[in-house]
Amino acid sequence: MIPGRWRSLAGGSACAALLAAVWLLPGQRSAFERVPEGRRPVVFWHIWGGRERQVVERIVDEFNASQSEHYVLAVAMPGNNLDLKFLTSIAGGDPPDLLNQDDPVTADLAARRLILAVDELASPREARALAEWLFPAARELATYQDRLWAVPNGLDIRALYYDADALDELGLAPPATLAELDALALKAAPPQRPGLPRRMGFLPDPRRLWAYGIVFGGRFYDESTDRLTLDDPRVVAALTWMQSYSRLYGADRVAAFRSGDQALTGSSFPLLEGRYVAIMDGQWRVSEIEAAANDAAAHGRNPPRFGVVPLPPPPGGRYDAGWVNGNVFLVPRGGRNPQGAWAFIQYWIGRAGHEAAAARHAADGGWIPVSPRVVARPEFQSYLDEHPLFAEFVALAGSRNQVPTPVIPRAAFLQAEVIRAAEDALYRGVDPRTALRAAQRSVERARAEAADAP
Amino acid sequence: MPSPSAPARPLVLPETRAAALFLAPWLVGFVALFGWPFGATLYWSFCRYDLLSEPRFVGADNYQRLAEELLHGGRFGLALWNTAYYAALSVPLSIGLGIGLAVLLSGPIRGRATLRTFFYLPSVAPTMAAAVLWMWLLDPRDGLVNHALALIGLPGPGWLTSVREAAWPPAWWSGAWGFGSKDALTLMGLWGVGNFMVIYLAALADVPPHLYEAAELDGANAWQRFRHVTLPLLTPAIFFNLVMGLINAVQAFTQVYVVSEGQGAPAGATLLLSLHLFLAAFKELDMGYASAMAWVVLVVVLLLTAAVLRTSRYWVHYQGRAA
Repeated sequence: MIPGRWRSLAGGSACAALLAAVWLLPGQRSAFERVPEGRRPVVFWHIWGGRERQVVERIVDEFNASQSEHYVLAVAMPGNNLDLKFLTSIAGGDPPDLLNQDDPVTADLAARRLILAVDELASPREARALAEWLFPAARELATYQDRLWAVPNGLDIRALYYDADALDELGLAPPATLAELDALALKAAPPQRPGLPRRMGFLPDPRRLWAYGIVFGGRFYDESTDRLTLDDPRVVAALTWMQSYSRLYGADRVAAFRSGDQALTGSSFPLLEGRYVAIMDGQWRVSEIEAAANDAAAHGRNPPRFGVVPLPPPPGGRYDAGWVNGNVFLVPRGGRNPQGAWAFIQYWIGRAGHEAAAARHAADGGWIPVSPRVVARPEFQSYLDEHPLFAEFVALAGSRNQVPTPVIPRAAFLQAEVIRAAEDALYRGVDPRTALRAAQRSVERARAEAADAP
Repeated sequence: MPSPSAPARPLVLPETRAAALFLAPWLVGFVALFGWPFGATLYWSFCRYDLLSEPRFVGADNYQRLAEELLHGGRFGLALWNTAYYAALSVPLSIGLGIGLAVLLSGPIRGRATLRTFFYLPSVAPTMAAAVLWMWLLDPRDGLVNHALALIGLPGPGWLTSVREAAWPPAWWSGAWGFGSKDALTLMGLWGVGNFMVIYLAALADVPPHLYEAAELDGANAWQRFRHVTLPLLTPAIFFNLVMGLINAVQAFTQVYVVSEGQGAPAGATLLLSLHLFLAAFKELDMGYASAMAWVVLVVVLLLTAAVLRTSRYWVHYQGRAA
């Protein structure tokens, strides 16, 4: 019989061997071993998944091939909560060198000095030149307290898609005003019909009060006084208009009809399924519409005809207006290679002589570039010639009426609270002004706490 | 007095050392993952803490905010109401359904083992997968449930897209009655009632047959035997499931997160306490407020459990113990 001491020793050794084996497993080896000799790694976290991830990996490969100093190691983190993972990495003292994401957290990170401003990465002159090079909306998206803290690398613009065949059937033209849009909705789906209709003319999405508030001529934030203005009469008017659809068709019917709309992609895109005559959505839907048209042509069917117009404003509203967001690069303070991160940023967006490559990448990904200089490149213009629907969105990118969520601390909370207010109005019948004022109080309290943070 | 020749008794017995060694991983885990957060959240509940800066003591501010939100219909009040509604609906229904299934499947029926497995299987399905499946089934437009209702001429509810509350009495008379998202969550929860059923089956197997024989001799019919023999002897299991059900209802998170777009949609109708706590802590980085909420929830659960414990002496019957 083995004595107890030896048994303990054998058990301990087995545990140690197991731990060592786990540690030395090939999958546990550091990605840094891929970095060629003499090159400095740039750890790059990004949100891209699916087909776009392949485009991102091509950009990374091209950059790495063009370099003798830096080497980008891309880590894809698609899905939710990248902001949380990023904050955890900062709190843990091991942030990546570069982050590309789309949450409105720039001001929170900048206010806490957790990221580097562009003028800390490059000369103040270059930072100014970069700001002027960007579209106004892109500049606004990245500016906090008159300083560029992020570098946008793609814009997301929304407009109104319409089904041209359905409009012909109804004897209507694409809506240019809000009244025409309302008339379209009523004619396509008279509210008196019982049950859930097969097709709706148009339904507002509560998440898009951010866009309609701007289209109605309102503002959610007054920069001069640093005060939220969620109860701006024009924002209230926008929400009242959105609520009128719930009153007209019934909140339950609207919610049921809209079920899962935003998550439906590909051929399930509600416009392609014929569930709407007009729907507000972003430029990323163009590729789905084109795929459907190609599929119809391949099967000998008439391709569906769709068009895009800017969001129709009410009298006194704004033209070519809407809510814009986008992807931004953030460089964490405490990263090991901020200069490598900066070199990669410039390469991606088209600075420092890389405009042609940036135009090619934007065309590959179906992304809206952040600078009119990249848009003007022949490589991108030929893409726009081939994709006229996409060109409509790019035309809106330069509009001064494309406004992002205010770049202020607690912007993500603000964004969520405005959407909650809109949902309360649309689905619970809460008075729009009351809902927006409640949201304003809640966000002002959160902002006061953020300002009070050590 | 020990004999001088007897070996000295070691200060720590080898068995104690071995026990301590084997317990050590669990103890370390308990202290690091439970004890420390437990203490830390109590301190943070009196702080303003955003995870990135040092916590700053603010007294009872967070608790005051919770009280205000409770009194003036803020998010905490909404989350508390949603959780109370969900618990009040799901716990009794799961107990009732669990007992019903167990009684049916304890009788001499053909394919009993297969049926027991069939009813138990959903409770081992991953919560995420089950939630996605239910989202498809309950889709108001294309879901199978509403299609089935339409076949028998019934209007399909909005389910997960609706803010309605079927079990809220004022809605019965106001014309706003209908099945909503919390009712759908309850339905989803009932799908996993197999866990409860297994406990009741074990309890039923423990009921002495002579009690049924005596009842039959006294002329008791099937209902009377169930009411006066089976049910009283199931009460220890009901008591256990009641306490666990309450705790599970307060802790419900995964399925709520999946079906509510991670936000408590629609319009906060599925914003249960656990989701509100998660959003406050990790989305709004308001760890002080979230910690205060966690403590309030803990106290509420403790009070409820204590109330159930206190009343148990009146309705829980243990075999072999005098009434």
